[in-house]
Amino acid sequence: MQFRRIVQIASLVFFLFLLVCAVQGATYGIALDLFLRMDPLLVVGTIVGSRAFQLSFLPAIIVLAVTPLLGRVFCGYICPMGTTICGGDRLLGASKNSKGAKRYHRVKFFVLLFIIGAALFGVSFVFFASPIPLITRFYGLLIYPVVTLVGDMGLRIGRSAVELFGGPTIEGTVSVPHYATLFFILVFFSALFFASRVSRRFWCRYLCPSGALLALLSRRPVWHRAVSSDCIDCGKCASQCPMNAIPEDSPEKTYHTECIICRKCEKICPKDAVTFPFGRTKEAAQEMPSLSPGRRQLIFSGLAGMGAAAVSLTSLGSLYGQTGGVGIVEPPMLLRPPAAVPEKEFLSLCVRCGECMTACPANALQPIWFDAGLTGLFSPRLVPRRGACDPHCNRCGTVCPTQAIREVPVPDRRWAKVGTAMIYHQKCLAWEQQKRCMVCDEVCPYNAIEFQKVEGNPVPVPVIHEERCTGCGLCEHHCPVRNQAAIVVTPLGALRESRGSFEEIGKRQELDISLEHKKDMENQGNEEGTAPGFDAL
Amino acid sequence: MSEKRWNPVIQRWFDKVLSRREFLKSQAVGGVVLAAGASGLLRPGTGFAQSPPDIAVAKGTPARALRAAMKLMGGMGAFVKSGQKVLIKPNMSFTTKPEMAATTNPELVRELAIMCREAGAGSVIVADYPLASADECLANSGILDACKNIDGTRVVGATSDALYKEMNIPGATTLTKNGFLKDALDADVLIAVPIAKTHAATGVSLAMKGMMGLVWDRRVMHQLNLSPCIVDICTVLKPHLTIIDASRVLSTNGPGGPGKILVENTVIASRDMVAADAYATSAFEWYGKKYLPKQVQYIRLAAERGLGRMDIENMTVQKVTA
Repeated sequence: MQFRRIVQIASLVFFLFLLVCAVQGATYGIALDLFLRMDPLLVVGTIVGSRAFQLSFLPAIIVLAVTPLLGRVFCGYICPMGTTICGGDRLLGASKNSKGAKRYHRVKFFVLLFIIGAALFGVSFVFFASPIPLITRFYGLLIYPVVTLVGDMGLRIGRSAVELFGGPTIEGTVSVPHYATLFFILVFFSALFFASRVSRRFWCRYLCPSGALLALLSRRPVWHRAVSSDCIDCGKCASQCPMNAIPEDSPEKTYHTECIICRKCEKICPKDAVTFPFGRTKEAAQEMPSLSPGRRQLIFSGLAGMGAAAVSLTSLGSLYGQTGGVGIVEPPMLLRPPAAVPEKEFLSLCVRCGECMTACPANALQPIWFDAGLTGLFSPRLVPRRGACDPHCNRCGTVCPTQAIREVPVPDRRWAKVGTAMIYHQKCLAWEQQKRCMVCDEVCPYNAIEFQKVEGNPVPVPVIHEERCTGCGLCEHHCPVRNQAAIVVTPLGALRESRGSFEEIGKRQELDISLEHKKDMENQGNEEGTAPGFDAL
Repeated sequence: MSEKRWNPVIQRWFDKVLSRREFLKSQAVGGVVLAAGASGLLRPGTGFAQSPPDIAVAKGTPARALRAAMKLMGGMGAFVKSGQKVLIKPNMSFTTKPEMAATTNPELVRELAIMCREAGAGSVIVADYPLASADECLANSGILDACKNIDGTRVVGATSDALYKEMNIPGATTLTKNGFLKDALDADVLIAVPIAKTHAATGVSLAMKGMMGLVWDRRVMHQLNLSPCIVDICTVLKPHLTIIDASRVLSTNGPGGPGKILVENTVIASRDMVAADAYATSAFEWYGKKYLPKQVQYIRLAAERGLGRMDIENMTVQKVTA
């Protein structure tokens, strides 16, 4: 096998390994979000949009720094999105290069400038087109659940077979995660794979803004394609180049901004005229054609991005200019993951990679559609009905590449209040139907729910101690009332802080969150003075 | 909670085949029950000194007390025959440590599993459906660790719907159907081994309440009416042997605690789950007071419906110190 293929596959396997580690909650000391932090646009867009540099962005800085030397090796060797699309091309049989397609190469620069333009206005559209977050979502939210589903079905069939025909007991279960917005990922990637009928590496050639960013830096790379005078102008290389980086009429030239150094041309040249030397060779010095768009078009793209950003900033739900006070229209029940930074900052930092959702062991974090407007598309929400936030877990923060969800130690994470539980009395079995239900109290690890006797009700009823509630949602998750639970977590009182200890801030707000609170149920018995749950004689 | 079927047509076919098997099996079990009943008739409880008591109560460390109680009950061999499948149902439904007395003593569960194997059990499954994360519950309760090296024994946190079988409950008063753990339905011998503790909704949580850990949909039980629903599931899941762990008794703030713990160092054994629950109810103080079995609604209902006896004053109780 070819060296590049080995590197490509190894890189994809490593990427998937890190994703599996995120699912399993094992780190082996590796940064699980490494690939995300290598994505050039993710990093540049986030730095511009959030106006903040993070040291953890170093991998992408390195990728950008080596590009003038090695060209777009990231695209050709490392990028898991590129490898996936490459594999799709092989499976589906990609079409040959056609003439005239080259003018569409510039589209990716428009995408890039659009996103940077919006980022200048503080609006992050990075998630629309940044390749690594997209491919993370593809594998994490679409492929992984399907793999578990198939595994689970296999187990079920195996068990049925054992029941019928006998055999060794099949142990173990597979939990199948469920996600929202899968339809989008499905359609998006179906379209991308189908685009191989139009051209090979359709995404990389025409759309990828990270590739465009690298193209800007690889106009004259030190490692580059060179063609000797042995060339017979057969045009074989031009027709087979996966990036369409060779002019059909003069195959001795190269569009270096498009070349991903896959070296296919070198391999297939019948005259061995193609080489990839290091350094400033004679060939490199000659005039190179360019596929970069004109300055005017670039400026227009940037302006379009700014315009889109401006419109989204003036939409009803936008937080622009609304740091407090009245007149704010916020999504009424949107719970963000614990230790998510303040909403405005959160939206500019979150790249919608879905890594937090993949890592959440309770499957509680879900991507949203338009609940938080266009700029909140695919951002994570805590859905307690699906899963509750484990008091001993902080995985979402540890895998977040931009620290939109802060990585804080577990004890402090418990103080990162997500919201506050609230009871719909009309739905509650104890309050309304006078039934002896106390599931919410039973499952609350913070002892934030107390059952009290109230006049006119023979059974004790739940009352919430708001200062003890961290909004984990275990009560809502386990509430036996179907559909809309009788106890729900609302974002009221959520602690959203960019820095500092949540415990310190929480204590100043008179919160009292602890797993050690003592219970006292003595007063929950009935009128005759019997203990809770017993009948009178 | 998903109740997905992987393929309705094939599933229906499987169900059909299985229900036929189930029918044949229930016939066989019926025969056994009849035989047991007959032997009971032939052996009047008041007669020989050797005949096992209705309730055996042993004091001592969990493992030794269990051995002593089972000796009174006629040995494990009276319950478990060679090659039989045994399902043990402890309480391992909370993430707390055993010292908190919300979950069954792991040493007791371990000894019970060993005794089943000594009696010739083909396989022993220790199962519960924890409310919280199953991994955490199994680990923190100490039961996974205690049982992992026992040959032929496995500990299951039964949180997948694939492990349950939907069944009608014939003769139910309230809960007409539910999913039941297949391993429990398939078991030749079902042993309940709950910890004795208070429960805010049902007074106490003992063997019958513990059967909820072998049932898929507990939500509906709260919606309908908890106590009669518990009796309904106990008409399907009738333990052949009940061992109540009263080494520690959670006397207040159950089921989760933390609450007042009484160190009683006691193990209670009976063939009759209602009798065992009734005895445990009256034997210990709950919130500092004594209660009668009939003050626990599900015990009263179970006795009324003939699932067992709660008139402990008329039963033979043998006590021993190990």
